Amino acid sequence: MIALRRSIQVAVPALVVLVCVSDLLSPSQQSVPLWLYALNYIVPGAAFAIAGLVAWSLRPANHMGLLMMAVGVGLLIGAAGILTPVSPLARTISEFLRLRVGHPSDYLFLALGPLWAVVILHLLLAFPSGRLGARLSRGLVAALYVFVPLISLIGLSVPFEVGLGSWLQIGYTTVRSVVYQTCFAVGFVLIMKRWVQGGRARRRSLSPVLWSLAPLSVAFLTPTLEGVLQQVIGVPDAGPLVDSTNAVALASPLFLIVLPIGFLVGLLRSGLDMTSVASLVVRLSSGLLPEQLQPALAKALHDPSLEVAYWVPALESFADLNGRRVELPGPDSERAASILDGAASPVAALVYDSSLRHEPQLVETAAAAVRMALENAGLQAQLKAQLEEVRQSRARLVEAGQRERQQVERDLHDGAQQQLVALLLALQATRAEAAQYGDKRTAAMLGANIAALKQALVELRELARGIHPSILTEAGLVAAIQSLGERCPIPVQLDAEYSDRLPSHLEATLYFVTAEAITNAVKHSGGGRIQISLRRRSGIVALDVCDDGKGGADLAAGTGLRGLSDRVAAVGGQLTVKSHHAGGTTIHSEIPCA
Amino acid sequence: MRVIVADDSALFRAGLVRVLQSEGFEVVGQARTADELYALLATEQASLVILDIHMPPTQTNEGLIAARQIRRQYPDLGVLLLSQYVESHHALELLSQSPDRVGYLLKDRVADVDEFFDAVSRVASGGSAIDPLVVSRLLARKRAGDLVDDLTDRERSVLALMAEGRSNDAIATELRISRKTLETHIGTIYSKLGLEPTGGEHRRVLAVLSYLRSS
Repeated sequence: MIALRRSIQVAVPALVVLVCVSDLLSPSQQSVPLWLYALNYIVPGAAFAIAGLVAWSLRPANHMGLLMMAVGVGLLIGAAGILTPVSPLARTISEFLRLRVGHPSDYLFLALGPLWAVVILHLLLAFPSGRLGARLSRGLVAALYVFVPLISLIGLSVPFEVGLGSWLQIGYTTVRSVVYQTCFAVGFVLIMKRWVQGGRARRRSLSPVLWSLAPLSVAFLTPTLEGVLQQVIGVPDAGPLVDSTNAVALASPLFLIVLPIGFLVGLLRSGLDMTSVASLVVRLSSGLLPEQLQPALAKALHDPSLEVAYWVPALESFADLNGRRVELPGPDSERAASILDGAASPVAALVYDSSLRHEPQLVETAAAAVRMALENAGLQAQLKAQLEEVRQSRARLVEAGQRERQQVERDLHDGAQQQLVALLLALQATRAEAAQYGDKRTAAMLGANIAALKQALVELRELARGIHPSILTEAGLVAAIQSLGERCPIPVQLDAEYSDRLPSHLEATLYFVTAEAITNAVKHSGGGRIQISLRRRSGIVALDVCDDGKGGADLAAGTGLRGLSDRVAAVGGQLTVKSHHAGGTTIHSEIPCA
Repeated sequence: MRVIVADDSALFRAGLVRVLQSEGFEVVGQARTADELYALLATEQASLVILDIHMPPTQTNEGLIAARQIRRQYPDLGVLLLSQYVESHHALELLSQSPDRVGYLLKDRVADVDEFFDAVSRVASGGSAIDPLVVSRLLARKRAGDLVDDLTDRERSVLALMAEGRSNDAIATELRISRKTLETHIGTIYSKLGLEPTGGEHRRVLAVLSYLRSS
């Protein structure tokens, strides 16, 4: 591939020099009209060849340069054909080409020569990406590639001089020109359509080309289209045309001299490339999967060989998405790389064809967009991870809190409560003894102490129960809620659809939500009854505590409800409050439970 | 009467044993866990087991489980559960296992010697004893349109004592009314609450408690 590129880079300028020299070497005065005529081909041919070479070396991935060189070579071959009778060098070229083609006709290469006109159309339609987009464009160009050599060959092989009749020649010329006119008209419409539909960026790159077409269209329009087409295609008819006084028609290929410059300027304006980079930015901002990034970037920079490599700290190296190590190219390589730096270490690297070095702005823009997208994705992942960590730590905190409460309750139960009950029994025994020995005063005093101790026990029991009700551990949520209801001064109706046990931290959460909701209803709602429902369906436990009070409870207003909501959220659930004036309050909690 | 005591708190056990012995009970064994209790039951002849509802290893409801096991294995043995808390849930579970020879009391009751031994003797003689706190809590709930509201104060007292597992004689004595009057009250209560008369004084505890607890 590189060898082919090198040989083209040498061969095309060589051909340009060769043909120009052969032209200058034309010896006789007699050949001046022919020489002038050939100049029409040589100048635009050389312009196309050189502009094409420049374009191709700047954008090797783009076929525009190659196509432009093809036009140049076609024109130069045409010139060589014209000069064959007068220039030995041109004759040598012609002989060489004829030998290569190996066709009996001397003019075969001239039949293929006119193809440059089709290539110009191809260029116009494929500008600036080098690819033919629409099916219509592709069909038109393909048809012309077949039709033009065919019609030239027919033109060459029909023996006009033998006199099949001049009508045959007229018919042939008419059909040919109608077909050409139609094709070029369709081509013009297609180009105009792209102009009209294109945005500012596309117009920016299309406008030099369209402007450079202007002199050519002048040539097309005057004096007769047919004459121009003959001029463009019909090299075999060159003889009579050379003698013609139709100067404009004669000069028509000369008008083509502006076109390669138009192509080159348009191409270098990079309008579409910036557009594609811009659309890359849009795609990146709408969220692109990692595996979609490389193709999107390759498309935006017109380099199918582009690779995205990610920095892997563990490897101390870049690697692709499949984890394969990617070595960055050295300075003399055919490849080049841009490293996207992060805060501490590189984030990623783009490895691409070295030709893109000529477009640093484009690459930098694309790289900046990718860095932004990657950083964004990284930040998002970090944020999600942090959020998850916070969520888990909150759940752990709540669970730890509940475990601690349970432990405190157990410690009270096994320690203070047991000891106080034992003390109660001891005091009781002492009092009995005092009574037995007739010490009424001591017995009475002990009796008062016993009563105080009993009261202390009741209070301690209530305290311990508030910290963690042992019934919750012993018999589960439904029994514990029922027990809450039994202690409630207003009637509590419990409608539980299930009675199996839940994980203890979920039971505790739902219990305390119920306890707090009942307390709120009793204290604030002024209602006469409380309805509790407990349901379990498809992985969710739903608890509703409703009162028939005056409503007006607000999750945002009270710290009590806020605390409940936090508690439920800590186990991954959600608490909502529905409270209407005079419509009672419903506290609805949903907790996921596998 | 031969008694076995099971509680993991040595202090409480000592106090309980002293109370029992001072009333002439013979404590034939002491256990700290349910397993120790089963071992004692296999070797010692007793007519009553007094046990804590919380025992090692989980300190949750070992006592209840043990009570069920004992009632199945030794049907003539009375079981009296003691606890720091009393819950209607546990009372009903215990009674629904078997409504006779069971008791469920707050630990503090041991200090009210007369009441405690009344309960002990009820359990030992085939009846049941439910802590008054359980009953009073259930009765205290004012429920809209509740049939209990239709009862007179005297009838409510009779209902409470029935729910505690007292016999008719005991209730009549307690309320200082004649047996005949009491039976009239009981009849009225049953018809007011729409309860079906159950066989025997022991059996009615479960029915009355269930009624009170259902809401």
